[in-house]
Amino acid sequence: MQNLEIKGSHGDYDVPTVSFNAETGVCELKGESYLEKTAEFYDRLLAWLDEYMAGGKPITFNFRLSYFNTSSSKRILYILLKLKEYEDNGGQVATNWYYDEDDTDMEEEVEDFRIISNLEINAIPDSSLRWE
Amino acid sequence: MEQNNKFNLVEYHFRSQHEVVVSYKGPFDKDAMNMIGNYIRGLISMNPQASKKVFKVFIELAQNIAQYSAEKNIIGEYVGAGVGSLVIVDYPEYYQVVTGNLIDNEDLGPVIDKCELINTLDKEGLRKLKREQLKQNDYERTGADIGLIQLAITSDNPLDIEVKPIDQKCSFFTIRVKINK
Repeated sequence: MQNLEIKGSHGDYDVPTVSFNAETGVCELKGESYLEKTAEFYDRLLAWLDEYMAGGKPITFNFRLSYFNTSSSKRILYILLKLKEYEDNGGQVATNWYYDEDDTDMEEEVEDFRIISNLEINAIPDSSLRWE
Repeated sequence: MEQNNKFNLVEYHFRSQHEVVVSYKGPFDKDAMNMIGNYIRGLISMNPQASKKVFKVFIELAQNIAQYSAEKNIIGEYVGAGVGSLVIVDYPEYYQVVTGNLIDNEDLGPVIDKCELINTLDKEGLRKLKREQLKQNDYERTGADIGLIQLAITSDNPLDIEVKPIDQKCSFFTIRVKINK
């Protein structure tokens, strides 16, 4: 199975950087997400996860998003629901969400995702995600 | 008369007083959004929390116009992004992001109802409503409703809306979002 690597863009309708590793099971979504074609973009990520999960290996998902718009939030939720489903079916899942600790809006978004998905999400402060 | 057709740029420039930091009318396509978005990012060093909120509010409002405005930028046979107006005003106590666009009268009712519901809710109520909307697994919806709820959450203020009827088909829909400094 191939890794999924997408180089994000910044200042140009921001696309997050994707780095999904099929060997280690470490998946990272980084940057800002407010794309023109949100559904198409996230469908690719979800399809990769389906294929990876079919192998039954452990997965670590790291979110390092400093901003995402509401149409992205729906797709991010699909990722979280997929992780939860995998875990419920016996898969080994760790989900880490890195955020700027001054960004209380983001902290609340993570809390809301946790409530909706029932997935354990480790919220980890990270000052490198601060906007400057 | 010929003379009357001259657009008075000086008047336009100074009519919008110094507190107007951005004004734009046109298609909300990728280029316009990048330009305005980057300009707002430039303000961030002065007041990081408020400016980030202004940016978030701008993105949601602009993407709404791009997708849902009843007026489209038509180039030949190509139907481009939605057209609308945007003004960002810098008042001493708060920023105000104001957008307006044409909306089909038949779509107006649900949008007004939604905004009125949003304005009755406090922060926790808004978050609960947003969670419910997110949970609805309708894959095709783009989430404009969540967008409105998010505007109220991000800005921590009610949504100030105004409707000006244009004709039997359309109205002009204005929304003002206030962000405290």
